[in-house]
Amino acid sequence: MVMHRSDFCISGIFRDIFLFHDFLRMRALFLLIVLSSLFLFLIRETGIISSYPPSFFGLPSLMNVAGGLLFGIGMVLAGGCFTGTLYKVGAGKTASFFALFGILCGSALYAEVHPVVLPLIRRTTLTPDRTALEHFTGNSWLPVLIVILTFLFLAWKWHRIKGWSQKAYAEGYIDPWKAAVLISIIISVSYAIVGRPLSVTTGFGKVTAFLESFFVPGHPENLLFFSQVSYRLVGNTTFAEKMGPGLDSITMTQILLIAGIIFGGFISALQLREFSIGVLPPFRQIVSAFSGGVLMAGGAFASSGCTLWHLLGGLPVFALQSLLFLAGLLPGAYLGTLALKKVIR
Amino acid sequence: MHDKNRKGVTAMQELVLDIRGQICPACLLVTLREIYSRKELLRSGEAMLVVRTDHRDATRTIPDAVSAMGYHVNVSKVKNYYEIRLEYRDDE
Repeated sequence: MVMHRSDFCISGIFRDIFLFHDFLRMRALFLLIVLSSLFLFLIRETGIISSYPPSFFGLPSLMNVAGGLLFGIGMVLAGGCFTGTLYKVGAGKTASFFALFGILCGSALYAEVHPVVLPLIRRTTLTPDRTALEHFTGNSWLPVLIVILTFLFLAWKWHRIKGWSQKAYAEGYIDPWKAAVLISIIISVSYAIVGRPLSVTTGFGKVTAFLESFFVPGHPENLLFFSQVSYRLVGNTTFAEKMGPGLDSITMTQILLIAGIIFGGFISALQLREFSIGVLPPFRQIVSAFSGGVLMAGGAFASSGCTLWHLLGGLPVFALQSLLFLAGLLPGAYLGTLALKKVIR
Repeated sequence: MHDKNRKGVTAMQELVLDIRGQICPACLLVTLREIYSRKELLRSGEAMLVVRTDHRDATRTIPDAVSAMGYHVNVSKVKNYYEIRLEYRDDE
């Protein structure tokens, strides 16, 4: 709901800096990451999160950069990242329905090529044992301190140029910086309760496997991507999870989160009397939204997560995978913006 | 196709640009393109541009971009979308 009110669309945030040199929402995203970083550091210091540095971020590989690049192109073409697409679907945005369909098709496609991608991930892994920046700095507080000091310096500069808020006429509009504060609290609280960052990527894989099993019975179960089981240590408990159909902790967290974001967008749009469905975008934009969804899915699975996981979950804890994902996402969003300019004409 | 944006001139000299349902960031891009292509008509004061959009962020980006170009902006909510009326005013 907060995302819908403020239109806190991560795809839009990256796209608008390239397209219009509009940095307003990027500043809010920076605030969100810095605040989350501080909150998570404090939560860790008080011992609420025990599995730290996070065990759920794997070893960094060049495929994180490649995945980020694909995701960046895809999210701009789709008009929203995974999360953005979900709250826009909830609000009835027709274009995002095509993007969502693209994500599901892209997930099914990725499942077929996963055996080819997996060796690439292994071959391009950059370190044998380091997953977060603190493994290089030797302590956890130094990266947090550097980021906070950098942020305070920039925040003051932005404050002087009145770069934190701008008049918007939309009813019930929440300034992006206020949304950033709210979302950072939500993320930190959920991190503390669930013991890991929010994510929807594996949830999408699970939904795809479930739907595919209707159309091609037995096929998803035969694919390595859907059948491999991963074990995650959260607190003192080990969870066995897999992409394939079936109830596990993914169902209880990510599928519910997917449903929650759609429902939140729906409720917010309904409250504001802005829910509308049925106006089709031009055909070129439908193709763009669908192919953007496909690219995003491929990028997210190749890099083990989407923007929600890497930018809002991984960057605050300086996960190396997430830093590499960002390094690919930026040029990807730039390329996506160039392509989108050709689409909208 | 250009005509996908369902625009037309009404008797009130309103150039209506209906971009509901379109992907982000069509709102600002299409609006700016329309302002440039109809520059003479809009600047003569004979017509105004009426943008219909369902994108909430467009109520921030469009007014911000066009007010610097000398356009007076009025935003109102109509049913379940927003109508952004742009009128050129030579204040100098």
